[in-house]
Amino acid sequence: MQQATAKPNHRAAKTAALVVLPFAVVLLSLFFGRYPLPWRDVLAAIFTPARVSDAALVTVRQLRVPRAVAAAFVGASLAVSGAAFQSVFRNPLVNSGILGVSNGAGFGACVAIVCFGGGASTYVFSFLFAVLAVVLSAFAGRISKTTTTITLILGGTIVSAFFSAMVSIMKYVADPYSQLPTITFWLMGSFASINYSHLTALIPMTAGMLAIVISRWRLNALSMGEKEAATLGVDVRRWQCIVVGGATLCTASAVCICGTIGWVGLVIPHIARMLLGNNNRTLIPASISLGACFLVLMDLLARSLTGAELPIGILCALVGTPFFVYLLKKTKGGVWR
Amino acid sequence: MILTIDRLTFSFDDAPLLRDLSLNVDAGEIVCLLGPNGSGKTTLLDCILGFHRPTAGSVTLCGKEIGAYSRAQLAKCAAYVPQQHTPTFPYTVREAVRMGRTAHAGLLGAPNKEDEAICEQALRQVGMEAFADRPYTSLSGGELKLVLLARALSQKARLLVLDEPTASLDFKNEMRFLETLARLARQEQIGILMATHALQHAFYFESQALPVNAVLLSRGKPAITGTPQALLTPQTLAEIYGVRAAVHEVTGEHGETMRSLTLFGSMEEQ
Repeated sequence: MQQATAKPNHRAAKTAALVVLPFAVVLLSLFFGRYPLPWRDVLAAIFTPARVSDAALVTVRQLRVPRAVAAAFVGASLAVSGAAFQSVFRNPLVNSGILGVSNGAGFGACVAIVCFGGGASTYVFSFLFAVLAVVLSAFAGRISKTTTTITLILGGTIVSAFFSAMVSIMKYVADPYSQLPTITFWLMGSFASINYSHLTALIPMTAGMLAIVISRWRLNALSMGEKEAATLGVDVRRWQCIVVGGATLCTASAVCICGTIGWVGLVIPHIARMLLGNNNRTLIPASISLGACFLVLMDLLARSLTGAELPIGILCALVGTPFFVYLLKKTKGGVWR
Repeated sequence: MILTIDRLTFSFDDAPLLRDLSLNVDAGEIVCLLGPNGSGKTTLLDCILGFHRPTAGSVTLCGKEIGAYSRAQLAKCAAYVPQQHTPTFPYTVREAVRMGRTAHAGLLGAPNKEDEAICEQALRQVGMEAFADRPYTSLSGGELKLVLLARALSQKARLLVLDEPTASLDFKNEMRFLETLARLARQEQIGILMATHALQHAFYFESQALPVNAVLLSRGKPAITGTPQALLTPQTLAEIYGVRAAVHEVTGEHGETMRSLTLFGSMEEQ
């Protein structure tokens, strides 16, 4: 009985932390960057813009704010898509790129850089090819008029491999002095060029995340397997489409503004599982919150650790891996025993 | 009548697997679906759960033809306990049982206070309330089956469909499961349709003075229906299962008559 009374408070505290944390991290990240600014100026630029120098105003409002907001949304999108895919595919090892989104987007970016000189076309092409990859995965996995989760994963793996090969071809034909470095940097992921115009991508990301959030109770039933989910009263096809569609929208728009960032979509859901359990009711919002925090922090490190900016995709893996191992030991794997 | 199957025929290809099958399940009644491997037991259950469409005949559940149900409506009338469940994520027992309320919830599928009370009750009905906060991946096979039964009960369906629920359980867990089913049929007036290989299950329910019927399937032939006592004789066992067997009467703990089965051997193929 004591536990029953203690629990709601505990839950309320965790909920509050998950809501506040991303905002706090975004705010924190505004104080750091290449151009040194005293913290008073940063505060002034945020709250009293009339009483601060133009340089501080531009640095904080035009550079740091859009960058931090983009990183938060991308992190949230990748993490929540990974968590949703893990339930739909009943496989704790899949990530947000399982249906070929990353490699499709990579190929799209290559096409834009090599054929159309990069720039704005990169975003359009990488988004379109990311979505195309998922559609192709669904078709590749379609056997006798139905797509099962296993054949869909198979389709995703095949399409990923295909686009990965296509990326290699594009690298091979790209101009080694101008285009190849651009491709390489794009594939490693970066928020360096983010400005307000990129924040259009927040609309599809938000829509995709909403689709996953409203499906979160049904994700529990879906993770029991298609047959059991159906007998529990879930229209399996419809909800699979909603979740996969939402996740595709999320990841495609995330990847198209900042390049491929792996790792987040696999590990953040697992960190959330270890901390808060596997119920998708909490796992989905927790993945959004932790994904946002994680990527904002990683971007903060990427631009302040060394003189030159580090590619965030690499940094995520470098910093994320030891942290994950630490957490695995600390929580004794949660309940993965 | 909860479930009425009228002259159902089902075939995957040209040769019908189920032919002209009729059966009824009434409130509080237990129907044991028997038959050798490949005789169509699971296929019949899949027809009732809406996964297969009958080639001919009708399946009527709670007064409505099965094809007219949405998934959510069907889940409120018929609950299912699978033969095998492979857990992927370590949900707690309580979370796993709550998934049974998915069909009853609103747009988002979120359970409310009433749903939670129903789940606690379902856990008590199967005697697993002490395990509510344990991860359901840490349970033994017998405990997991009881949790899946609790999940089905939380659907508050009038028909319970079970596919060889005791196939992998030891004696004690098997008896515990059967006792739970008998109690549910008697106290909650749930209709139970259960595919099983164990003929003694039918005998057990009969000895408990519950209304029991056995349906004996054999591939492509018309099914035969009757009380276990009348139906499960050495002659039919020889005919359908191809075994030499004897059925004896034994006096139970409380002086009741129970039937028991002894197998002598398999018959030569003709």
